[in-house]
Amino acid sequence: MSSSKRQSILPRVQSGPKAPVNFSSTITIADSALLSGNHTININSESVVHPRAKLDSSNGRITIGRRCIVHERTSIGAASADPRPSESRDGVYIHDYATIEVNVVIESGGTMIGEGCHVGVGSKIGKGAKLGKHCTITPHSVIRPFEVIPDFTVIYSNGTRRMDKRGVTDLKNKAQARQIEVLRRLIPSNPSKFQ
Amino acid sequence: MSRKQVKGEYIETDTGNKVARKAILIGTQHIMLGGKTVIQAEAMIRGDLARTAQPSSGAGGAAAPGSNTAVAIGRYCFLSRGCCLRPPGRIYKGSFTYLPLRLGDHVFVGEGSVVQAATVGSHVHIGQRVTVGEFAIIKDYVRILDGSVVAPNTVIPSFSVVAGQPARVIGEVPEGGHEAFELRELYKTVGNNPQPLPV
Repeated sequence: MSSSKRQSILPRVQSGPKAPVNFSSTITIADSALLSGNHTININSESVVHPRAKLDSSNGRITIGRRCIVHERTSIGAASADPRPSESRDGVYIHDYATIEVNVVIESGGTMIGEGCHVGVGSKIGKGAKLGKHCTITPHSVIRPFEVIPDFTVIYSNGTRRMDKRGVTDLKNKAQARQIEVLRRLIPSNPSKFQ
Repeated sequence: MSRKQVKGEYIETDTGNKVARKAILIGTQHIMLGGKTVIQAEAMIRGDLARTAQPSSGAGGAAAPGSNTAVAIGRYCFLSRGCCLRPPGRIYKGSFTYLPLRLGDHVFVGEGSVVQAATVGSHVHIGQRVTVGEFAIIKDYVRILDGSVVAPNTVIPSFSVVAGQPARVIGEVPEGGHEAFELRELYKTVGNNPQPLPV
């Protein structure tokens, strides 16, 4: 107890310059989210970024659509071990109404997450993979680099796949909007910190 | 342990909780620790996701302070490095709300596990990299093996061993095997002056 200096519990300030960002005025981004990289990070209206989510644009631009939810401890725009070059200028493109759950890793390099996708806890999306609309990725799944997943696919972590024929996309989008309404009240937003 | 630290790695409270300085607790006013609970570094608890809908209007006006708990944890729980506890949320009576996550006593949560259950009973062992889906109910004396995915809304009966993706009951806790769930000894092995496990 000789030292009286108390260590900060907040995440350390990044050493490099701030990542260029382009935020909508209606987003909710937690103070302890981590944004880094030198390409632009775009976040469109009403999306929510939970605390400790990591967005790294050093391998390409990151775009997050409208009403997306990015949960805590995700790593979006992680560097890929795959050496193949990607033809896209985008790093990661997440379309509207997508949910990225806890501990998900999305590698950078033309990766697309389709509209209304739900990426389950601890999944990994490889570089250049393209998920169609309203896909469901169950927890701990791995999508290989440059894989193309058709619309409405459900992918289980044991490798089996099926089509989602419930036709509840409108309901799901409505529920997402309700959830965002609540999260807005619960998560103190501080977009100015990143601008 | 030869690591020399000026200050302890853990903060020890009066009720015997040992909380690592590097643990990430968000919304601490909504987190209840029963005492003698260990929270290791980089464990994350989302207390900020508290209930927004009032449980019932007939309960009599203003709710008592501290009643809006998001995460309640019993005694002798052990939250390993990198695990994450978050309350489950769903649409309830037309509006979205998070509901409390309750952990009983002697609950072990392994490294990198994500728990979004509604209730976890007492003497439950959750292995490493386990995902417990939203609104799962885990009864007492359950062992969840490493890497399992407990699907949302699952109910796991007492004394079962579950594993797989999705998790299914693969066996029972053997007779007399319930003593392995005691975490009192494990509690003593961490903290600012840890003691070795008695062999």
